[in-house]
Amino acid sequence: MSNIPVSAFLALALILFCIGLYGALTKRNTVIVLISIELMLNAVNINLVTFSKYGPAPSINGQVFALFAIAVAAAEAAVGLAILIALYRNRKTVNIDEMNQLKH
Amino acid sequence: MNETYYLSLLVFSPLIGILLLAFMPKEGERSIKLLGFLATLPSALLALMAYASYLGGKDLADFSEKANWIRFGNSPETGGAFFTVQYELGIDGFALMMVVLTAILSTLAAIASFHIKKEWKGYFMLFLLLEIGMLGVFTAQNLILFFVFFEMTLIPMFFLIGKWGFFEKEKAAYSFLIYNGLGSAILLIVIMVLFARTGTTNIEALKTLVNVANSELAAPMSGPLKYGLLIALIMAFGIKLPIFPLHSWMLRVHVEAPPSIVMLHSGILLKIGAFGLIRFGIGIFPDQFKEIAFWIAVLGVVNLLYGAFLAFIQKDFKMVLAYSSISHMGIVLIGLGAWNEAGVQGAMFQVVSHGLISALLFFLVGIIYERTHTSDISKLGGMAKGMPVASGFLLAAAMASLGLPGMSGFVSEFMAFLGLFKVWPWLAAVGTLGIIMTAVYLLRAVLAITYGKVDREFPGIRDLRSYEWAPVVVLTCLIVLIGVYPTVLSEPLKSVLLGLGG
Amino acid sequence: MEIAWLIPLFPLLSFLVLLLAGRRLKEASAAAGILLTLASLALSVYVLIERLSGPTFKAEAVWLTIGDLQLTAGFEVNQLNALMLVIVSLVSFLVHIYSKGYMHGDERFPVYYAYLGLFTFSMLGLVLSPNLLQTYIFWELVGLGSFLLIGFYFYKESAKHAAMKAFIMTRIGDVGLLIGMILLFWETGSFEYDEIFAAVRGGELSGTMITLTAILIFVGAVGKSGQFPLHTWLPDAMEGPTPVSALIHAATMVAAGVYLVAATFPLFAASEAAMMTVAIIGAFTAIFAASIGLVQTDIKRVLAYSTVSQLGYMMLALGSAGYVAGVFHLMTHAFFKALLFLAAGSVIHAVHTQDIEKMGGLWKKLRFTGPLFLIGTLAISGVPLFSGFFSKDEILIAAWEHGNTTLFWLAVIAAFFTAFYMFRLFFMVFMGEARSHHKAVHESPGSMVWPMAVLGILAIFAGYVNTPWFGTFLGDWLVEGNSALGHGHVEGPAWIMIVATSVSLAGILLAYLIYGKRAISRDGLITSVPLTYNVLKNKYYIDELYHYTFVYGAKAVSLFLRFIELFLVEGIMKTVAALVQTLGKTGSKIQSGQVQTYGAIAFAGLAVLMLIFALTGGYL
Repeated sequence: MSNIPVSAFLALALILFCIGLYGALTKRNTVIVLISIELMLNAVNINLVTFSKYGPAPSINGQVFALFAIAVAAAEAAVGLAILIALYRNRKTVNIDEMNQLKH
Repeated sequence: MNETYYLSLLVFSPLIGILLLAFMPKEGERSIKLLGFLATLPSALLALMAYASYLGGKDLADFSEKANWIRFGNSPETGGAFFTVQYELGIDGFALMMVVLTAILSTLAAIASFHIKKEWKGYFMLFLLLEIGMLGVFTAQNLILFFVFFEMTLIPMFFLIGKWGFFEKEKAAYSFLIYNGLGSAILLIVIMVLFARTGTTNIEALKTLVNVANSELAAPMSGPLKYGLLIALIMAFGIKLPIFPLHSWMLRVHVEAPPSIVMLHSGILLKIGAFGLIRFGIGIFPDQFKEIAFWIAVLGVVNLLYGAFLAFIQKDFKMVLAYSSISHMGIVLIGLGAWNEAGVQGAMFQVVSHGLISALLFFLVGIIYERTHTSDISKLGGMAKGMPVASGFLLAAAMASLGLPGMSGFVSEFMAFLGLFKVWPWLAAVGTLGIIMTAVYLLRAVLAITYGKVDREFPGIRDLRSYEWAPVVVLTCLIVLIGVYPTVLSEPLKSVLLGLGG
Repeated sequence: MEIAWLIPLFPLLSFLVLLLAGRRLKEASAAAGILLTLASLALSVYVLIERLSGPTFKAEAVWLTIGDLQLTAGFEVNQLNALMLVIVSLVSFLVHIYSKGYMHGDERFPVYYAYLGLFTFSMLGLVLSPNLLQTYIFWELVGLGSFLLIGFYFYKESAKHAAMKAFIMTRIGDVGLLIGMILLFWETGSFEYDEIFAAVRGGELSGTMITLTAILIFVGAVGKSGQFPLHTWLPDAMEGPTPVSALIHAATMVAAGVYLVAATFPLFAASEAAMMTVAIIGAFTAIFAASIGLVQTDIKRVLAYSTVSQLGYMMLALGSAGYVAGVFHLMTHAFFKALLFLAAGSVIHAVHTQDIEKMGGLWKKLRFTGPLFLIGTLAISGVPLFSGFFSKDEILIAAWEHGNTTLFWLAVIAAFFTAFYMFRLFFMVFMGEARSHHKAVHESPGSMVWPMAVLGILAIFAGYVNTPWFGTFLGDWLVEGNSALGHGHVEGPAWIMIVATSVSLAGILLAYLIYGKRAISRDGLITSVPLTYNVLKNKYYIDELYHYTFVYGAKAVSLFLRFIELFLVEGIMKTVAALVQTLGKTGSKIQSGQVQTYGAIAFAGLAVLMLIFALTGGYL
């Protein structure tokens, strides 16, 4: 494992993050948007673990933090889906273009 | 850290008045006015006592006080808080004069406020809050505190103009707030950059830190940055002063605000601009200021002439006085631009002197307006018949304003020009045209009001009432005192001048 | 002489007392004013007598500190100052007495006396000043006194305009003085006369600087003394009460310009160009004003133009290095012109008009005023044995000896004009028959006659202190101990005196033929040169010229600046406001409620910030 350079991990995280960002900003379906956000969170987790292992001061803190992030992400996904379902019941749609309530 | 709370007491004593007013019934017109007036007295007395003890030989540094206020930026290397902002008040000679001026004018303006016709309770609460802000501005020893007090003057002013003013009061209030808000924003940027770079906002500390080349700053400051900061400062205070072309807000305020508030506005608030320029512009960036001094002087001459010529064709006496303020603030700039002892002392004299003169003028305008309901020059005339005393004082105030010797206006004007002639005689020669124009527009306006035949009878018009005598007499006496014996003013200012390169 | 500083304080006290208690004192304020000026007069005479034998006295204290510079204030008693003190306090005292009768019954009687006190204080302060700064201070204050008294009848529109004009025109001159004074200060490091003269003697100043400052100071004198081109305020100043015209606009304040040039004479003497300027302006004003005086019909205006003309004479004398001649004429003129004005006041008091066309035949009705007026007229015309004769003669000699031949002949013509228009005035007012019906014309009360009598005596005999026949006492004393002022007496060819005498007699004769005997038709003269007559009658259209150039010019500049104010300053403000509004509207359009758009913008902003940060390395 040690022959894989740090930059490879970071590049993976970057690509993952960009895919997530693209999805979150462009997809019409709210479910896909939520999934994209999960992708971004996971990209961050990869970064955390990478620096925890290969950073200038390696320690276990980063990995613990990644676990925290995963837990929080799970909770966030649950809440997000709950809101989405509540929204669907009211508006009968998951199309994000029609969700412009923030304007008012 | 010493145990004196003198300045805090001085600055915050109007607070007592605000608290008491809060418990007063809204309708008690007489008692509210009386209380509002009384609440300004402690500050006035304390300020005069401070001046007296200064004359008695007390060191002004003894008045300084300090307390911990805000600390942040904990890091073990710097051994505690990196950024500290302390609550610190103190005065030097110039600040002392400004505090005395503020305290006296506030008391007199409170008397002038007896003409206010509605909602006295709210009026006097805001009025006292404004006084706290003004006193604080002159005593604050660091930029953050200065800024807090500076903002504290804006909000009461906004409401005082917007609620108790004349016809276009809302517009005037908004334009006041927007312009001054912009000025404040620029000022805040300057303060924050200085704070971030040096780690302190104490004015004395900044004076050395910014100018000592090898001082260890948290981050170094380049030459262009210093120039940028200075120009930003000039803009921030230039709005307040006001410097052409940032003046249009102030015309509206002068015309629309109630006269008692204009007394304070033109007497003190405009002077905060000059005070800030002298204290921070010159104090913190002396070398850079020296480089651009010529342009400051040019701006001063432009202000002087621009204001004078426009005052010449105004139809409303308040507008004449508003432009006259612009013109007279030009003299402050001329003095500063001369960048020698005579000039800077002239500028400081002008700050105090114009404060007194414009307060007197606006007080008299208030009196005339109260009786005739107009300040239009063409509608007034021959007032000296019905109101000989008020007209006499109006003429005296105009004479003081146009720089008649024996009154304070002359001393400041003379010194400012004395300074400028030393360095840029040609510029100064152009500026002297302003001296003539000042006489022209003031006499035109004042004589049109007081002399000549009576255009329109104002039946039952009466001369000064008993309580109106006090402000008029006090202000006139102070103006003459400074004019005849300028040492009362030059002595405290000396200590400030000593720091000047020459 | 140590107590000389008290002299101006008495009138100041009079001013303050009358200002505060005038309403209660009513006409008793006259007594207060008269007593206090009497005290000044007594002290002035005492100081003069002491100065006749003693040395110059000077005392000063620090007035204002500017850094290391110390500006002082104090007083100095030298020959010129001592002489002026007596002239000023004497005329002021007499005018105070005279006014008691003249202003009787006026509603603002105490105010009038208060103003007189203020003026007298300033004028005495002016002549005691030991330095330019103090001179300037009192210089402006006498202007204030003059302004207040011209505008005394404030309810008259004409008085308002005259007062404003006087203040502004003299202020134009004052600015010249201010500039000159400040320039001298930075050149010599002092406002003190002594130190400035020492610097001039020591050659510390360049020639150009001397000329420049001298001319600038002269500009101040031009404004105050009503010299061309700043003369137009002085005739208008006749709107004030007549005693005031006698005091301020004949004897003292307008002479202050001459005094100033005399007081700074060593500076002028060091520059030939400056001297020449003074002489030319003086001579030109003398003849210019005299020619206007020929056709005026207002008794006070004729006297006013004659004052302008006589002041021009004094300037000519000073510009021709005739220091003594100038000061001498200043003194004699103060007496006879004050007399003429007071007598004119007495006439106006009797007939209630100022138009000489409506007077006539008053000689029999005003038995004191008439002869006194005649004395003044003879004195100003330069008839031998009267005071004006000696001083005018001195001036002509000075001009001739200095080599200003053209100016000399101009002065001679002016003398002819003077004699002519003064006697025209005399004949029209006192001789012939009344041209309009005045009821109950009676002589003025004693309080008005006695001051005139004193001045009448002085107008005859004041000249004898400096004559070619009985010794030149005044001249010798004035220049004693100061070589820069020139000689006490200048010998001139004897024919000058003969020319001067014959010219003035010719003027009198001509006036007699036209207005006394009516041998020559007046109307014929007017119709034969209508253009000249109209030009003179309208004072060379100078007022109109100034009105159309300076007043309209200032208005034009103001309107132009107003244009800038409206379109540039306000315009920029409005543009900025509009810009902000447009920006706001665009911003609110972006706020579509689409979270994705918000996210995209936030991300883009972050990216830009990071880019900047990466490129600059963290330093702006």
